[in-house]
Amino acid sequence: MAESNIHIAIIEPSDIIFEGLSNILLKRKHLRIFRLDQLNEAFEAISKEKLNIIVVNPSILQSQKTLFVSLKKGNPQVCWIGLVYSFWQKEALNQFDEILQITDSCETIGVIIDRQFKLNETVHTEAASGQLSDRERDVLIQLVNGKSNKEIADTLNISVHTVVSHRKNISQKTGIKSQSGLTIFAISNKIVSLDNLSL
Amino acid sequence: MQLTSKTFVKPESKLTGLFLENPSLMLMMEHFDLSYVVHDKTVTQVCNENNISLELFLSVANLYNGFHKTSHTVNSSADIMTVIAFLKRSHYYYKQEKYPEIRNLTEELFHLNETPEIKLVGKFFDEYFEEVTEHLEYEDQVAFPYFLSLIDHPGVFSAGSKFSADEYLDHHTDIESKLIELKNLLLRHIPVKNDRSTRRRLLFSLVELEYDLTIHSTIEESILIPGIKRLESGMNNG
Repeated sequence: MAESNIHIAIIEPSDIIFEGLSNILLKRKHLRIFRLDQLNEAFEAISKEKLNIIVVNPSILQSQKTLFVSLKKGNPQVCWIGLVYSFWQKEALNQFDEILQITDSCETIGVIIDRQFKLNETVHTEAASGQLSDRERDVLIQLVNGKSNKEIADTLNISVHTVVSHRKNISQKTGIKSQSGLTIFAISNKIVSLDNLSL
Repeated sequence: MQLTSKTFVKPESKLTGLFLENPSLMLMMEHFDLSYVVHDKTVTQVCNENNISLELFLSVANLYNGFHKTSHTVNSSADIMTVIAFLKRSHYYYKQEKYPEIRNLTEELFHLNETPEIKLVGKFFDEYFEEVTEHLEYEDQVAFPYFLSLIDHPGVFSAGSKFSADEYLDHHTDIESKLIELKNLLLRHIPVKNDRSTRRRLLFSLVELEYDLTIHSTIEESILIPGIKRLESGMNNG
């Protein structure tokens, strides 16, 4: 992730619950908490505060189903967690990505947040490098340094055949085949820097 | 100027209406060395007045309008000369008009977004265009003279000719794939940094170049070369 902080908004009418949950969450590092009063405030906050997670009391959603659906659709990167402390129908809870129960222990809350933290990290690194795998990145770095298939195979301790198949995948994922094109791709995705290149 | 479902050009079509629908047909007229201010004239009229084969004109115009199936091939020496003159004029358009235009835009882009990757985009385009120029020169110096010599002596293979249809077609594939890479880099990979409208103009210009180059290749591959093959086997009827 570009910033290691994870940004969480809480939409919860009760001060006691909000304060309690915030305190539990803030025991962890790399977290920022925002409080929203209304669901429609999320529209602006998601992009402005770069929210990763929104914790929301299902009662807030009751009269605002359409708004919630469009928020979810428009922001697939955001994880929606239902904060549950009374009885809810299954359908009402199914619309969330995760559920936090008022009876959950601090550890359980940590596990849920961690899970999202990891998901977020993968999404970000994938987007940045055009979804290249670690091995494909290794091959790419060698390629832009002008190494031949044979040299790459020797350096990375893999067969030439494997190198060729990595190259194919790289081209397929990026739409770029030539060495000079791949160099530009690698620089703009910060996979290599110009200083390390012998151009 | 990407083309989708334009009018199928017929002998009785009025040219001005076609130009308004698809302005790149005006470029085609330039390549034919014809004026595009033709008042209310039809395709047939313009072709007759300028001694251009109606069939040939229709095939090329329909390529520009997005109909990429053409059954017409050059079948007379006059046709071959018309096509070669057409291709030569398009070479001029690529080298004298498109290249400087795109080169300036890549420089403008770097001015707005001074990153190493944008600098390399300029270099990438230069290298690409060097390949294009090589191919165009191969056409001017090897392919076209060979084709013209066949008109005078059909069926006589010139042993000294360096022309090879396979090599010719390989060039085309390379030229197309590099342009696609360049578009991918600008559209998918290099982050925009206050260069949005310049980048859009650059992409438009690349698309225009790509479009004319694609038609250029198609004319050579499906209109010119099949006719040349017939000439090589001595079946010239021109």
